[in-house]
Amino acid sequence: MTTEWNRITVISVCLDILISITCSNAVESDINCLKSVKASLRDPENLLSSWDFNDSTEGFICRFAGIECWHPDESKVLNIYLSEMGLIGGFPIGLKNCTSMTGLDLSNNRLNGPLPTNMTDIVHFLTTLDLSSNNLSGEIPVSISNISFLNVLKLDNNRFTGRIPYELGGLSRIKEFNVSNNLLSGPVPNFGPNIKADSYAGNLDLCGPPLPRCKGEPSKTSTGVK
Amino acid sequence: MDRISPLISTSTLLWFIFVLYSFSKVYGNSEGDALNALKVQLSDPNNVLQSWDPTLVNPCTWYHVTCNNENSVTRLELGNASLSGQLVPQLGQLVNLQYLELFGNKITGKIPKELGNLKNLVSLDLYMNRLEGRIPSTLGNLQKLRYLRLHHNTLTGTIPYSLTTITSLEVLDLSYNRLRGHVPVNGSFAMFTPKSFYHNPGLKLPVYIPPPPVATAPSIAIPPFTAPAPAPLSP
Repeated sequence: MTTEWNRITVISVCLDILISITCSNAVESDINCLKSVKASLRDPENLLSSWDFNDSTEGFICRFAGIECWHPDESKVLNIYLSEMGLIGGFPIGLKNCTSMTGLDLSNNRLNGPLPTNMTDIVHFLTTLDLSSNNLSGEIPVSISNISFLNVLKLDNNRFTGRIPYELGGLSRIKEFNVSNNLLSGPVPNFGPNIKADSYAGNLDLCGPPLPRCKGEPSKTSTGVK
Repeated sequence: MDRISPLISTSTLLWFIFVLYSFSKVYGNSEGDALNALKVQLSDPNNVLQSWDPTLVNPCTWYHVTCNNENSVTRLELGNASLSGQLVPQLGQLVNLQYLELFGNKITGKIPKELGNLKNLVSLDLYMNRLEGRIPSTLGNLQKLRYLRLHHNTLTGTIPYSLTTITSLEVLDLSYNRLRGHVPVNGSFAMFTPKSFYHNPGLKLPVYIPPPPVATAPSIAIPPFTAPAPAPLSP
């Protein structure tokens, strides 16, 4: 009993240290995050013009268009909402430096290319991820299944191919999941009764509950090797 | 003659009732009293409360106070004002208050449970002070609350489960306190990550257990994995 308690103490202390390390320098890293996002995306409609990094007052990034901070006095990004901004480019990996971000909405833009395979390293604390209505391609990365706090995952209206990683069914907080209108095929994850068939509409060949059962030999689909 | 004196006393009584009733309808008076009670309990070295004159009919002309069209207080904005001293239960009388901004001061003492009466409150910002004691479970009554920021204080005790019933909650920050016990994950708290709770050494964050590895996608349904809920706290 005592060794169990000691182990738990050590683990929680280590976790606490780990969390405090990642949370230190939040301000500087968040500023670098937004600088990197602005640099990596083309903004033909100039809607990011309010993102002026010459200002350096306390919490200045909190007044940028589309940025919501944890509180107004500190440059610590809570949510990024850049829907319908005409932005062009790949998924901005500079978001890795927005270490306290829990909401990301880049829907209705012209983002292209594949998502990074290490999504969980880049946006680990997201509760909402909305990348719907872009031009994203490639496969849905398995690592999204490690973004364990996700409540909302919207990837609909893109050009994702291949299978939906079955591991996504392990996201215990999912309330909304939508991959409709992509080029996906194969068995769908098991989210339970909350996710309905319309979350999967408009794809190539998805199967499994809540859709009709998958056909064909299990061995043909078992290797996962392309 | 006998008929007239009861008539006079009745009408006098009615007049008194009418006057008292009219006075009670004037929000401004009791709200000014409530704010004045706060002023008395606060230490104000920068004189930010200098304009707070309790002899005025209502507090709506006081600096840092905003009222609605009916002269009832909707915002109290005293962030970063170098105030010390304590909060008062009378704050719970500001029934139309939407924004209570007292962050970045040196306020000590407890969070009054009467704040749970502020049914219209949208933002409760008491962060960066020296508040102690528990988070009152009455705050669960604030059903319109969107921002609850109590970080950087010395609050103790457990996180009241009543807070999980506030569906409007968008931003929660309880970090940098001395809270203990388990972090709820149900209700509105499903939307919050460890980022809302860190730097509370005695607080047990929900443990994420990755789903069991799946080498092949099965053709039969497997029940969805759900992370175990933390054990409920005994009161």
